[in-house]
Amino acid sequence: MKWLGAVLIGPTLWFAIFLAVYGLHGLICAQWGVVDFSGRAVMIVVWGIGVALFWPLLRYMPAGHACSIDLPRAGLWIGLGATVFTLFPVLIASSCS
Amino acid sequence: MRCALPFFAIVLTGCTGPLSTLAPAGPVAEKIAWLWWGMLAGSVLLTVLVLVLVVMAFGPPRVVNPRVWTHRLGLWFSLMVLSVTLGAGLWVGERILPRGDAVEVTAHSWQWGWRFGHPDGEGGWRQVEGELHIPAGQTIEVRVTSADVIHAFWVPRLAGKIDAIPGRENRLRLRADAPGIYAGRSAEFSGTGYAGMTFTVIAHDPADWPAAIAALSKDAPDD
Amino acid sequence: MTDVSPAAGPQADTAATTITLAANPRQRALRLHRELSQVWANDRGLWGQVTAVSHTTLGLRFMATAFVFFAIGGILSMLIRAQLATPDGAFLDTELYNQIFTMHGTIMMFLFAIPMLEGIAIWLLPKMLGTRDMAFPRLTALGYWCYLFGGLIMLTALLFGVAPRDGWFMYTPLSNAVFSPGINADVWLLGVTFVEISAIAAAIEITVTILRQRAPGMRLMEMPLFAWYMLGTSAMMLVGFPPLIAGSVLLEMERAFDWPFFDPTRGGDPLLWQHLFWLFGHPEVYIIFLPAAGVMSMMIPVLCRTTILGYGAIVAAILALVFLSFGLWVHHMFTVGIPHMALAFFSAASVLVAVPTAVQIFAWIGTMWKGNPQLHLPMYHILGFFLTFVMGGLTGVMLAIVPFNWQAHDTAFVTAHLHYVLIGGFVFPMMAAATYWMPLMTGKRRIKGLGEAAFWVILIGFHGTFFIMHLTGLLGMPRRIDVYPDNPEWIWLNLTSSIFGFVLTIGFAMYAMDLILQATLGKRQSRDPWQAPTLDWAMPLPAPNYNFASLPTARHLRRDAREVILPLARGEGVLAGAPRGQREFLVTSVGDATPDHVAILPGNTALPLALSSAIGAFVLLMLASLYALAGLALLPVAALIWVWARGMAPQDSLHPVEVAPNFRLPVHHHAMTSLGQSGLFALLIANGTLYASLLFGLAFLSVVTPGPEVPAATVGGVPVVSALGVLAASLVAAQFATADQSATNALVALVGNLVALAALLSVLPFLDDPTAHARDALRAALAGYVGLHVLVAAGMAAFVFDQHRRSEVTATQQGAWPACRLWQRYTGAVTLITLVVAIAQEVLT
Repeated sequence: MKWLGAVLIGPTLWFAIFLAVYGLHGLICAQWGVVDFSGRAVMIVVWGIGVALFWPLLRYMPAGHACSIDLPRAGLWIGLGATVFTLFPVLIASSCS
Repeated sequence: MRCALPFFAIVLTGCTGPLSTLAPAGPVAEKIAWLWWGMLAGSVLLTVLVLVLVVMAFGPPRVVNPRVWTHRLGLWFSLMVLSVTLGAGLWVGERILPRGDAVEVTAHSWQWGWRFGHPDGEGGWRQVEGELHIPAGQTIEVRVTSADVIHAFWVPRLAGKIDAIPGRENRLRLRADAPGIYAGRSAEFSGTGYAGMTFTVIAHDPADWPAAIAALSKDAPDD
Repeated sequence: MTDVSPAAGPQADTAATTITLAANPRQRALRLHRELSQVWANDRGLWGQVTAVSHTTLGLRFMATAFVFFAIGGILSMLIRAQLATPDGAFLDTELYNQIFTMHGTIMMFLFAIPMLEGIAIWLLPKMLGTRDMAFPRLTALGYWCYLFGGLIMLTALLFGVAPRDGWFMYTPLSNAVFSPGINADVWLLGVTFVEISAIAAAIEITVTILRQRAPGMRLMEMPLFAWYMLGTSAMMLVGFPPLIAGSVLLEMERAFDWPFFDPTRGGDPLLWQHLFWLFGHPEVYIIFLPAAGVMSMMIPVLCRTTILGYGAIVAAILALVFLSFGLWVHHMFTVGIPHMALAFFSAASVLVAVPTAVQIFAWIGTMWKGNPQLHLPMYHILGFFLTFVMGGLTGVMLAIVPFNWQAHDTAFVTAHLHYVLIGGFVFPMMAAATYWMPLMTGKRRIKGLGEAAFWVILIGFHGTFFIMHLTGLLGMPRRIDVYPDNPEWIWLNLTSSIFGFVLTIGFAMYAMDLILQATLGKRQSRDPWQAPTLDWAMPLPAPNYNFASLPTARHLRRDAREVILPLARGEGVLAGAPRGQREFLVTSVGDATPDHVAILPGNTALPLALSSAIGAFVLLMLASLYALAGLALLPVAALIWVWARGMAPQDSLHPVEVAPNFRLPVHHHAMTSLGQSGLFALLIANGTLYASLLFGLAFLSVVTPGPEVPAATVGGVPVVSALGVLAASLVAAQFATADQSATNALVALVGNLVALAALLSVLPFLDDPTAHARDALRAALAGYVGLHVLVAAGMAAFVFDQHRRSEVTATQQGAWPACRLWQRYTGAVTLITLVVAIAQEVLT
């Protein structure tokens, strides 16, 4: 049971960060109509904190059982990869248009 | 892939048509068309690759390295191809976003018709149903609205589509390279009159455009 | 999830402990078969079909019914193709055409694909995991009847010409009461929601069955891949369907009571519907694909005489798919005017989801390289899958690219893409699966030749229909138009698609014929025809209702089925036969599958039919706009649920059961965590997602939606504050009361909840008119949600009190207390969150 919970940590973290940055973007665009430098900086910081969260998890996640794959760790890599890949447009894409 | 050869033959002769996205007549539609041809070429190669691998599988058992299949092919190879595709898509997407000055026109939709508003240069608007008059060679910004249900403004040879949503105003940029008549239609299902919800975009020589607008009736028709 | 530690037997804490269960003495197989058949068989005759709760019967019936709906949906598609064959389409009028394409999509999604995958999971999972039935047999039957009745309501509407006509996605405002008067849209909203009861029911019991009914010693990382795929699917169903249900309920309330959730003139937003719909609609695609990928992962290694390549990588790919598929719903909304950065996030997520898909495809091809592929009939369909699905996946990546999507969205290109994905990714694997498992379903051998011919006709018909449809779309033909007199360039394309469409239909008819011939005229098939290494083949053909005469243990796993058939049939596994005359199976722990307790199942009963009929009466009264009567119709529903729960009361002796020599396990009444508790937990996950969807709606409307100013709230003042205080205080009292089990506490909880309900009702007159503004409508909806939960909590407390009165609760026997406690906590939590959100909204605006 604990093991199943550990498996879910990585992808859940991705989903939370993804929704946070997307929600932040929607909020900024709705309130100010444009993401200026500081708005974008806030989004990048949230994204960066999200990515950074994976390092302690990857470091301290106990090694899995002797199975064919260490699934909790794989879940963390999935979460990290997805966080980096799906949110990198925050660096380049135009904001509210 | 036995279908591929006739497909290409058809495409070379038959990709024209009043609503064809493959016969672009403006920079936005043209960029998207190039994106399509690039992705088509890549997809053909990938399909052939996968099918060849499947066909080669028939035969005596082989010693295989699992990581080659799951990691190198499944993860890294696909990630590389997809990153390139995504990058191209974002680049094109950024380039066709509304930026800089543009001639503003309005497109108002309802069940089932379109009314277009044109600035008459005197601060007023000239409205006409079913026809949008634009100057060729200039960037146009269309402000799209709806009176009732959701419709979509689409002139395939000039640009992609944008929805007309009640309660909101959406904007779309397009440009016609040359004077001419371009077909447009709604692309969001709206009930029994949907199939006939078409309009035309008439691109004038920029010198003639003010006169064409002035010739339109000054009184806005009622809904 | 719930904490699982066995009441008796070994501790499951350490991963290394795998207890060895000694073999039971050998018995005569025939005697065991007779004994089990008597206990597990359905009742005789037609009545037996009404009262059946067996997963084998119901799984087959789900699949057969889904196939009938597939045929109906197919006939509708032929009407569409006939209409489009010529540009002026003098065949159908527009109103009818709109009903037909709406019903085609609705039937194929909700009445074919989802029930088909539920059916195969219900039928196959217990056999593959080494158990005798699904966790909640009566729930299986309830799901079936809800599916059947909901489907029949929609079909009847089609026959009478009042079927839904606004597209299978039901975009509002087109589907609201102004632009879609009449009951057409209500048929969709109520009918689909009725059918979704079966989806939620199936998701709950699939989750519980996989996690807690695996053969002893079958750890999660050792279970057959199909079980992993179904675990992913059921988890997705638990969180994927609630947004749709929430959206449907809100839209139905807008239509029925004029609560303006989606009306832009009163603070609502049509885009809220699109978000809720696609929050369901995109995961839905993977909900359909994952079970198909699951059967592929089972069949390919067996048909290639080898083992699967990259088991771990595939499990990781499933994990990635399950989550990523919830992050790409907006790619159905690329043209609604969302800013480019947000589109870029979803475009990237949509592209990324192709990676786990590619991992699986290459793992399957690698498996074929590793082994020696045999060109049996299922392999034909697997090859059809590879050809079709790869192309559909690639056009999917194209559509994930924002600028291209702006051109291709809502054109025939998308129609082509989705048929490549759904027929390639679901129908071909399911056809392979049906031919593969037919011997287990029927005990019959296939008649050679027809199946192969059917495959080729289907393949040619399919690609002939849909390949050129990509081009039709790129040439500008939108979906859902019925005539195209001004576009002669589409004529030959459409005519070709129509002709091949009929070829495709002939192919499906041939395929159905092949199955029917096999079932009726086929010769007897000997056991284990594919020489498979999984438990589903370690039983006689056709599969008996009880599956295994004795249940397999660690000893019987990862061995060829033919080696373990006989020992299991002779009772050498655990829990042999049915010596106590009741339906029993083993419940194991979540992680390592150590034996935990013995579950005693209810037998044949007509209760599921009665309950679904009562729900059906409610749905029909809602359809008839008789809202007061519909409210009354909920009384029999509540009464039947009470009777249902009474059916779980302990019947006979509750002594521990000797499942293996010198190894006794308690029965489920004495278990720490029964299957029922796990099931309730799963239900609350779905319920919580529904609640979160409502909160999402509130946030979306207050942040993103433009539109008129919110009228000043009139809520407040002494009466409201004091009533909310009473509400909070009485719920806290109920909360504390449920901590310990006693008759007094049950009574306190009952009274507490009733007082809370009264307090909530007293607030209602002070709430703003819900028809004035969407915010007030959503607040009223949230108040209704809380009220319903308090009401159910009161009902549960009353039930527990009744159990005390009957002395069914003892020191070792918890009765319904755990369920009552769990529900009370959930109710307290949602009440608290709702109050905080409402206050925060008042303060912020």
